[in-house]
Amino acid sequence: MPQSTTLLQGTLDLLILKALTSSELHGLGVSRRVHQITNGTFDVQPGSLFPALHRLEEAGWLTSSWGPSETNRRAKYYRLTKAGQKQLVDETTQWNRIALAIAQALKA
Amino acid sequence: MPVISRLAALWKNLTHHGQTERDLDDEIRGTLDLLVAEKIQAGLTCDEARRIAVIELGGVEQVKEQVRYAKTGALLDSVFQDLRYAARSLRKNPGFAAVAILTLALAIGANTAMFSVVNTVLLRPLPYRSAEQLAMLWTGIPGQTLQGRPAYVTVEAWRRHSKSFADIAVLDPVSVTLTDTDGAEKISVARFSPNLLALLGIQPVQGRSFSDREAEERRRLALISHRFWQTRFGGSDDAIGTSIELDGLPSQIVGILPADFHIPSLDADVWEPYTLFPDWEARRGVRGPGSWFVVGRLQPKVTVDHAQTEMNAVARLLDEELPAAERNRGVTVVPLSLYVVGPKARLALWMLTGAVLCVLLIAAANIASLSLARCVGRTREMAIRAALGAGPGRIVRQLLVESVTLVAISGLVGTLLAVAGIRLIRAFGPLDLARLNEASLDLRVLAWAVAISLLTGILIGLAPASTMLRNTLRLSGQEGGRTVSGGLAIRRIRRTLVVAQFALAIILLAGAGLLVRSWLSVQSVDPGFRSERVLSMQLSTTAFAAPAQRANFYDRVLEQIESLPGVESAGLIGDLFISGGSEQIVTTDGSSGTTSGRLSLRRDEASGRLFTTLGTPLLGGRFFSIDDRPDAPRVAIVNEAMARELWPGSDPVGRRFKLGPGDSAGPWFTVVGVVGNMRRQGLETEPMPQMFEPLAQNPSGLETILVRTSSDDPLTMVATIRAAIGRVEKRAPLYGVTTLADRLGADLAQRRLQTSLLIGFAVVALLMAAIGIYGLIHYAVATRTKEIGIRMAVGAKAGDIFRMIVREGLQLSVMGLMFGLVGALLVGRAGSSLLFGVTATDPLTFTTVSLLLCAVAIAACYFPARRAMKVDPMVALRCE
Repeated sequence: MPQSTTLLQGTLDLLILKALTSSELHGLGVSRRVHQITNGTFDVQPGSLFPALHRLEEAGWLTSSWGPSETNRRAKYYRLTKAGQKQLVDETTQWNRIALAIAQALKA
Repeated sequence: MPVISRLAALWKNLTHHGQTERDLDDEIRGTLDLLVAEKIQAGLTCDEARRIAVIELGGVEQVKEQVRYAKTGALLDSVFQDLRYAARSLRKNPGFAAVAILTLALAIGANTAMFSVVNTVLLRPLPYRSAEQLAMLWTGIPGQTLQGRPAYVTVEAWRRHSKSFADIAVLDPVSVTLTDTDGAEKISVARFSPNLLALLGIQPVQGRSFSDREAEERRRLALISHRFWQTRFGGSDDAIGTSIELDGLPSQIVGILPADFHIPSLDADVWEPYTLFPDWEARRGVRGPGSWFVVGRLQPKVTVDHAQTEMNAVARLLDEELPAAERNRGVTVVPLSLYVVGPKARLALWMLTGAVLCVLLIAAANIASLSLARCVGRTREMAIRAALGAGPGRIVRQLLVESVTLVAISGLVGTLLAVAGIRLIRAFGPLDLARLNEASLDLRVLAWAVAISLLTGILIGLAPASTMLRNTLRLSGQEGGRTVSGGLAIRRIRRTLVVAQFALAIILLAGAGLLVRSWLSVQSVDPGFRSERVLSMQLSTTAFAAPAQRANFYDRVLEQIESLPGVESAGLIGDLFISGGSEQIVTTDGSSGTTSGRLSLRRDEASGRLFTTLGTPLLGGRFFSIDDRPDAPRVAIVNEAMARELWPGSDPVGRRFKLGPGDSAGPWFTVVGVVGNMRRQGLETEPMPQMFEPLAQNPSGLETILVRTSSDDPLTMVATIRAAIGRVEKRAPLYGVTTLADRLGADLAQRRLQTSLLIGFAVVALLMAAIGIYGLIHYAVATRTKEIGIRMAVGAKAGDIFRMIVREGLQLSVMGLMFGLVGALLVGRAGSSLLFGVTATDPLTFTTVSLLLCAVAIAACYFPARRAMKVDPMVALRCE
């Protein structure tokens, strides 16, 4: 099972954005969701996840708010912004294009 | 837009640092809590859950650090952190900080001041339009030091034939007597062609210049310099239109030149048309040598080399049309900047800049060595940093920031010192170095100060940084860092630094030594006359126009002066100290008919007792006497150099010569005496051929009177002499009173300054190198007490230990000496044109400074070695 440390930074960003399409999640929640939507293929380490979350927030694609967590402790919840939604669409298109190209190259 | 968003985030990260940190802490700890809760729910115990959760998370601080790296402005933030830490570390070590800042500030200040001089004198473009296109033209073979000046016809021919030059202008500075209601005074007047101002790109600041037609008509118009306008007319508006009396004739002022206009070494108070020479009609047609300074503006994109090649061809072409005796010896094109500051002065300036840079390097080496010594106590700190996640790059960066901060503070203080230094230079610097009084702290100089500070900071920081890199992974953190490998690397670097310091120091010492010997040589040069107790002053006579009246006046003055008690003798000459001669065609009368040739010579009138007053030896024939009257045959006294040129190997007394080609109308001179050579162009210049005529046969309106007094302070006689002259003629203007000894001293001013500066730098360098080696050996002894104890325990005597320590220090200094000597030889050769009377590889100088260096090194090792000697083996072996 490939560890998430082998993920390129771009694909991690894509997965995080996708994970947040339907709901607002805190950091651990994002990690669980990514695990879920990739059927267990990718397990994102906190050491890579949190820096990515902060980076995406600073770029303006995520926004955060504070709320209570499951343990009633103060937790930071992230959600997509409009720009983030658009970014997700752009990156998805690009990813599909790359995947297609590589698949064709490998077939040849 | 990500960019805007990131900028906002940057701002928030920098300004709300504390809040950001708290949020991050909450977030990560919160996540940890969630993980623990999950594990507990899955059935693990509290401790077990916590342990596994921490492993899964990867460590709270580690994750937080990762996040910090990813945030915008992380780099800036960590640099600020480094800066705060650097400031704190300096505050905690005030002794080190004070020593380092003081030393570096002085070194940086000296460097900045020196560079500001170089900047003003050498690097700033001259104050003319596109000054790099301007060049001087001389007659003479390119490369020779003696360059001649052309006659007007030659310049006209150059103008006609050359295509490399867009325009060529001439000027000739002369001494003229200005008479006004206060009396008469000598001023310098430049006679120039009308195109000169346009060629240089200068406009009069008031009024106008004269036109070609006005020059042709020889109209007596004049422009005045800004300084002249301020001092004579108080800067008033009605200066234009007033008339001034020059050499007895009125000239009308039509223009005022700008304040910053000056041609270095060709400056003048009044500027008038070139046609106003009294003998203009004759002068304009004369071929052969002349007296014009020629300035040309090159066509755009034409280089000096290209122009030189073209002018060589032009000169050859022109020479075809001339008889042999009148041919010029070619043309030399010299960029104007090279004329303004000659090669020697440039070399001296660059050498001094290099020397003061060496001093900075030596100082930096000392500070680096000190930093390295401090390093030893910081290995533990660095190991902890590494354990917390600092990569090697981060640690290096922190050390560099520390050293750059230190040097930045020094640089600031140093720049302030430089401002003071520049003010000192402007007040006391050599007056003949062009534009020195414009030295200031402009942008380029500031940039230099910043650059050398930065470089020094990095150099100082590299030493500890490179050793730290080796040590960061060693988490053992042995106390005091006495681990062999860490300590060894540091010792090796410190020893290299000491070797480098000594190498640089010996280069400076050798240079200073050579300059000192040159100075002594110059001082011991025989000027050809005896300068002690002689007064020199200048006397002008516009009152008398006729030669006979002038001669009579001067004779009476000399008579009056000689009759005073306390005066041994008095004599008269046109000018004792000269800047050059003029090239003439000289025809001599030989047994085989007349022969003509070119000679650069100096012509002066002299009174009968001049040579006696000066103490110049008579080598043959006689001095002038009263028989040499205006109506008697023309006679001359020549100096040895001229005699050797014209009549090598035979006695010149009784021979005849004439100035000009054989068929010219000038008189034949008969040589009646030969005198010894006088060095009138400065002590370092070989005396040129000189001829003297009797005062009666060629008096001029301005003469120099020399009085040999019997008192040791000739200046006390000035009042009585002035009174004596007043008895002959009440309003005779007397000025420029000085002693010959002072005048000779002034000549040496530049050399004296260079030598003193270099000696100063060399001494400072040697002192700092001595401090460096003292520090190293002292530290070595302190850390090797155990080893010394062991040695003593197995039989070494105190003397052996002493010698061992001193030998170590000597080894380092000798190694430095070897490297440095090579450098010194190279530098000596590069600067050999500054030397006088010594070769660049003078063995005496090199041996002396080498011995001096070794002696200083031994002295510096003396005290640590003595301390080593006193080590008690029992105590040493017990101490850990």
